[in-house]
Amino acid sequence: MDRLTALVALRWTNEWRALRFARERWLSALFAFGGMAFGSLVISFFAYAGLRALAAGSPGSLPMVIGGGASAIGFLWAMSPVLTGIALSESHDMSRLMHFPVERRVLAASSLVANLLQPPALAQAPFLAAVSAALSGSLLVFPLVLLGLGLSVLFAMALAQVVGLALHGLSRSRRFQDLAIFAGLGIGFLVSMLPLLMIAGGIRSFRPLLSVAAFLEWLPFAWGARAAVHAGRGEMLPAAAWAGAACLAILAALLTSAVLIEKIYRGDLDLGAAGGAGRRTARMALPGALGALVEKDLRSAWRDPSLRATLLMSLLGPVFMLLFLSQAQFSGRAGTTVLVLASFVGLQAFGGNALGLERRGLGLLLSFPIARWRVLLAKNMAALLFRLPGLLTLLLAALFTAPLQLAPVAVTIAAGTFAVAAGMDNIFSILFPITAPAPGKNPLAQSSGGRGLGAALMSAAFLIGATLLSAPFTALAWLPLLLKTPLLWLASLPLALAGALAVYAMLVAAAARLLERREPEVLERVLAEA
Amino acid sequence: MNVSEALPSQEAPAHADAIVVEGLSKLFRERAAVDSLSFRVARGRFFGFLGPNGAGKSTTIKMLTGLLRPTRGEAWIEGIRLQDDPLAVKRLIGVLPEELFLYERLTGEEYLHFAGRMYGLSKIETRGRTQELLEFLSLADERGKLVIDYSQGMRKKLALAAALIHSPRVLFLDEPLNGIDPVSGRIVTDLLARLAKKGVTLFFTSHVLDVVARLCDEVAIIDHGRLIAQGSLAEIREQRELHANASLEDVFLKLVAADVKREDLSWIG
Repeated sequence: MDRLTALVALRWTNEWRALRFARERWLSALFAFGGMAFGSLVISFFAYAGLRALAAGSPGSLPMVIGGGASAIGFLWAMSPVLTGIALSESHDMSRLMHFPVERRVLAASSLVANLLQPPALAQAPFLAAVSAALSGSLLVFPLVLLGLGLSVLFAMALAQVVGLALHGLSRSRRFQDLAIFAGLGIGFLVSMLPLLMIAGGIRSFRPLLSVAAFLEWLPFAWGARAAVHAGRGEMLPAAAWAGAACLAILAALLTSAVLIEKIYRGDLDLGAAGGAGRRTARMALPGALGALVEKDLRSAWRDPSLRATLLMSLLGPVFMLLFLSQAQFSGRAGTTVLVLASFVGLQAFGGNALGLERRGLGLLLSFPIARWRVLLAKNMAALLFRLPGLLTLLLAALFTAPLQLAPVAVTIAAGTFAVAAGMDNIFSILFPITAPAPGKNPLAQSSGGRGLGAALMSAAFLIGATLLSAPFTALAWLPLLLKTPLLWLASLPLALAGALAVYAMLVAAAARLLERREPEVLERVLAEA
Repeated sequence: MNVSEALPSQEAPAHADAIVVEGLSKLFRERAAVDSLSFRVARGRFFGFLGPNGAGKSTTIKMLTGLLRPTRGEAWIEGIRLQDDPLAVKRLIGVLPEELFLYERLTGEEYLHFAGRMYGLSKIETRGRTQELLEFLSLADERGKLVIDYSQGMRKKLALAAALIHSPRVLFLDEPLNGIDPVSGRIVTDLLARLAKKGVTLFFTSHVLDVVARLCDEVAIIDHGRLIAQGSLAEIREQRELHANASLEDVFLKLVAADVKREDLSWIG
């Protein structure tokens, strides 16, 4: 018991100190916790009202609704590391604890107990209380209902630990790690696109969800919740049976965690080395230092699963958007819509953070004696190539949904806006560099929180600046459409593009001078030297 | 032909010192990581820069290689004032940093090709030198592997190869032997000794004091960011009135660990 207490105390102390000694985290934590608590209270109110209404109108559907809901929430909770890359409940850093003579089951249990006081878990308390109150036929059964729902939550958290450990095990093999990142980002993207598809598909697309809900109520996530429903009605025997089953499920998850801990850290879970790399041949085909810089970024991005996933999503994003637009009956104004969309696609270059993508490699990049304008130009060219699928999709969209003659206009607007936005982004990323994750931390994460509110406001100002700077060229490309004289495009499109490129060249030159002056400060900030 | 022999001979510059440091300081918030450091390293010297953990060695190297701006003071590399033309300095130096960050999704060979191009070498030059360096550092069999799959020792050797590919005049090496196996360690130290003989200035930090004693002509010892001794081992012994047979380790411990108290842990065992 001493060890369990010590381990739980260790976790809470570490987390409290991590928060206490980082001023900027205080503010974000305050907002996050406040938002979480407020959200929880609002959801609790609606859950209570909805369940009371359901209990009065259709009591027979309660087990399905409660069970299905518990399963859906539990599934998302447990799978959060896969779906979003962020674990709603994290396990201990076992690698630092394995050399102590502590039983693995104690490690697994302490991790689970420590998670109960995490803000995401605490934020569920009002919701659980509201649901328990709605389900309880009398005050006497309220604690039993709450206990039943608590078992569902506990199972979700225990399973989240299993998933987290399994992912950690997989991450010891780069091949599996890459696959996990790729699959996780892909699933997360599809989940985030579901509402859009459903809006596009109308009310009919919600029907399959009902059949899924009927299946969900039988999953172990729902067992505790089903015990709660029975307890609320005073049916103690089935309540005890479901509660017993839920306890067994929690125990099984804990034992699985203990086994995983043992296997992962003792090296029993051998997933093999990454394959295929040995056959690669070295080629830096593009000419000159500029070519090598662009090629380095492209090769690295294509081999980095998270960046590759981003690349593919930049292709899928506009497809989903177009599906939405076509379903939403915008086709009457398709020409204008496509041109507005072209501006938005171009403006996406802002926020790409020319230097930020290098992360901790920025120190290495800037240690090379290469003119800084080349570095910035290469970064922007690589970014343009990454976004090329999006631009091509836009071109296709223009071909299919708008008059054919608008395709070159859309591409010119997108390219011109892109150039200006990329130029502005160069300056912004030098003035407000993002701190790269420290060695050993998730290299894909960007700790932008430390930049503060001032940087966020400046970012908005720069984006407005980019929009205003590119506006004359967008207007120039648009003008023949407004004047209904298509022949004018022969002059206006090259002029618009040349103008935007001239502005870009000036912005890059200014950014390069700025980088030469501020290089050590930028590195100090990115690498967080202190 | 080995790598050190392949390096082109360099003309002796008019100035004698490859590195000149005057009053260099770096404050992080209020704390001085490096405090009024001044020293000179003559051209072609194998210079050992020693100090306990947190003494300011890596911070000094970062300032001398243009990656960190000094709070005060100035530095010249091969006669070029660092603040005046950092890119010109970067053309002349090679750096093996302590905190290694290499482009992990390039293969070892691609990484060296990239580094060669960044230093302005032609494709043919880059290819030839890459080949030699990979073979010399026993990385030829791993050339097609992604850097992310390299061991710590292999990464260190690859970073060293990248630091050497443009034949630098001054080489900054921060803990180059950390994580390298004894066989590779010997290959690396032999290579460094040859480079020194060819007139390359080596600025070298290491906690392996017997290697430092074997390789370096001259050492500087810093503690809490301040220079506490500089010269050859014999000169430091003489300055500090230490025994003529005192090893570098004895001298180092005497200078930086004089005030360390050792308690008697009687309960152990």
